[in-house]
Formats: sequence, C-alpha cells, structure tokens
Amino acid sequence: MPDFSPTQIAVPFFVLAVLVEMIWSRLRRPEAYEPMDTMVSLLFGLGSTVAGALFGGFAAFVFIEAYEYRLFDFGEEWWAVWWAWPLAFLLDDLKYYWVHRAGHRIRWMWAAHVNHHSSQHYNLSTALRQTWTGSFTFGLLFAIPLILIGFHPAMIAIVGGFNLIYQFWIHTEAIDRMPRWFEAVMNTPSHHRVHHATNPRYLDRNYAGVFIIWDKMFGTFEAERDDEQIRYGIIKQLGSFNLLWSVFHEWIGMLTDIWNAPWKHKLSYLLREPGWTHDGSRDTSDTIRARWLERTGGGTDTAPKQVASRNPIAGSGEAA
Amino acid sequence: MEIPPLLIQTIGSLVAIFLLFLLARWMRLGGKPGLNSEEGVSSAAAEVIDGFEAEGFAFGDSGSAAIARDADGRFVLIKRHGNKFAGRLLDHGAWAESWRDNHPNGQRGPRIIVDSGDRLFGKVTLFTDEPETWAEAINAL
Repeated sequence: MPDFSPTQIAVPFFVLAVLVEMIWSRLRRPEAYEPMDTMVSLLFGLGSTVAGALFGGFAAFVFIEAYEYRLFDFGEEWWAVWWAWPLAFLLDDLKYYWVHRAGHRIRWMWAAHVNHHSSQHYNLSTALRQTWTGSFTFGLLFAIPLILIGFHPAMIAIVGGFNLIYQFWIHTEAIDRMPRWFEAVMNTPSHHRVHHATNPRYLDRNYAGVFIIWDKMFGTFEAERDDEQIRYGIIKQLGSFNLLWSVFHEWIGMLTDIWNAPWKHKLSYLLREPGWTHDGSRDTSDTIRARWLERTGGGTDTAPKQVASRNPIAGSGEAA
Repeated sequence: MEIPPLLIQTIGSLVAIFLLFLLARWMRLGGKPGLNSEEGVSSAAAEVIDGFEAEGFAFGDSGSAAIARDADGRFVLIKRHGNKFAGRLLDHGAWAESWRDNHPNGQRGPRIIVDSGDRLFGKVTLFTDEPETWAEAINAL
C-alpha cells in the first residue's frame, strides 16, 4: 500500500483555485473576499494541518486497534479489492453526514466545528477554514463501525481525503447552480451555501459531504431559494479577526457554562445543542426557526430587504 | 542539523498565506460598507436578531457603528467588521457612558461610549443628541 495523502497533494491546487477566485472576485464581486478574513481562514487551514500532525496519532491508534476486531477480512492486499473503494467512499460519506450533523447538534462537537462556520464570507478560502481541535472531540468514534466492518484505516483515511477535496470547490458563490441531475444527487455550491447560512430557514440544514441524498433521506434538506438572500457565518458573529479567539471561543464559552452551571445541568452544556441553557435564556437554532416561522409563516420573508445595504448579500438580487 | 519537514511546510505555508493576504489588499478586495442610514441599521439589526424592529438610532463615525433600540427596550449594537457587520443584543453585561464635553480621545459632540460586555467585540462610540437618555437605558438593562 503506497503512502498516499490526497489532501496533501491537493494543497497547491487549493491555493491556485483561491487565487483564481480572487481574480474573479476582483472582476465581478470585490466584496466576496476580505483580506483579513481570508488570512484568518488560511491560518485556520495551516493550524489544522499542524494540529492533525500533532494529535492525529491518537485516532490512528484507536483505528488500528479496532481493526483487529473486524468482522470481514479483505485479505493482506485489501487495497487491491477494487469494489471496496467505492463502497468505502459511499459509507464514509454516510459517516460524514452523521459526524457533521453531530458537529452542529452537540455543543462539544460544535466547539470544534464552529471554526469552519465563523467567517461571514463564503469563498474557497472558507473551505480551508478547518478546526484545530477536532482531535479533542469524539468525532473519531463515528468511523469505528467502518473499521469494524473490515475497511482498513488507511482506506478510510484516503477516501476521507477525497471527500474533503470534493468539498473544497463547493465553497463558492461564483457558481450558481449545477445541472439539475447533478443538484439532485451531489452536494453543490448551492446546497452548501444553505448549510453556511444563518437565515432561520436554513439553520442546521444540508449536512452532506459529497452526496446530498443523505439530507433528503434523513429530513434535513433545504433547497436554496432565489428570493432569499443568504447571510453567512454564525448566529453570534465573532466581530473579531483575533485568530486564537476565533479558534477557541466556543470551547471557552462551553467550559465557562459548564463551570457556572448547577451540577445536574453540567453534562447538558456539553452534550445538548449549541445555545441550549437550563434557564432558556439563549436561543438555539430550533427556537430561532420556531420564532421565525411564527412571525412569517415560513413563506417568502422580507429577508432581502433586511440585509444591510452595503453587505454583498444585499446586492442586486443576483443569485448567490 | 536536519529541519523537520513539518516545520519547512509550515513556514512555506505561512509565507504563501501572507502573500495571498497582500495580494487581496493590492487587488482592493473587500470594501467598507457603512451604517449611515436608519434603513441600513434596521436591516443590520434584523440580521443580528431575527424580527428586530428598530425604532431609535444612534450612529458612529463614518458609518463604522450604530445602535438600534426597539419598542421592547432592547438594544442591538452593531459595528463594521471587515466588510460585513457584527452585532450584539445588549444585556446586563453592557455598559454605557455619556459625554457632552470634549472626550480625552479628542472626539467632540454629545455621544455615548458603549461596551457590549464582550471584550473582543470592543467599545463603540456613537453620536446622539440625547446621550444621557441612551446611557441610562443601557445601564438599566
């Protein structure tokens, strides 16, 4: 089995693609990029790589140990079983859907994943805005079933790498819609813009990695609408380009809440959804959506008018 | 002495990131949106709190910040962040100070300095003819 990391090979192409999108931005939408935001996003990407190198060994150890208990054995040349690759890719993408959904619905997981969402921009540099602290969550457990089935940890790592590479190009506003058949099956820029939106209608939707079918199967799909401008970021926008604050703010918030909470509620601040409080003093995505539904009935909102006039998303009404 | 590959890769990446940052600045990407009108501030406040209907306003220098108040006595403090806006619904952690005379920082005119209580969000200076009224209401939260 060759030593092969698809994401490492892809890095120069990522940088080139960001460069090309910046030129597009200069020509078509200068507001799509913001230099400080771009720099912070790229530093997230770099830090994530370093953190992976430093802390990724634990996950590798767990996977290799778990592999000893596999149900099926693909043999010593497991990498030569051709059909195992597309099957692993498909199942890994299903795993991605659930780990990603957990990343939004469990505060412990969100503390790490929020990093990817904290930019108010949506461009290719946002794709590289990856967490530094994923190793400090239980996300690795979602891959254990695949290992126990018999997929080698290296195979899971490689198909996972291709999964991440696929997700790079969908972080853009430069592409409106793909052909209908493609939009029906695959995750696309349009579907993923919805995922990064803070509009109440779009909160906690479209968790898919490569195949959007999982969201359609599990009831979390929401199509992008042309009559509603998207606002990107998080409910409580950071308002700061401080890199370390951007990395750790949710960890600090969560640990502070756990520290201050009555004993019987401490675990809930770790495992319940972001925004949950024992006294109901904050909003969750569910309460925000419920209030919005009550206010608007869920129909076409006045959202385009609610977007500040100089925000790019308040532009000429051009589809994102 | 052999330099670890991860270190070389990290330094190379840092250089590339900084070059992309400089390029983005050179290309003048971004821009500076302004909070200059009541309509604009209303829109921005409704982005912070869905359904927020602003009724009172105070503005900062050059559209860099604003505060909006609704009929329920809630306040949303908004500031420019890059080429977007970020805001905070003020609560008991917020603090405001009113000024009519010259401030030590050189600013003139009646104004309030509002601290959202979020250290990294920073303080915001806003100009209004009724700084005492605003400050008192914010400090009463």
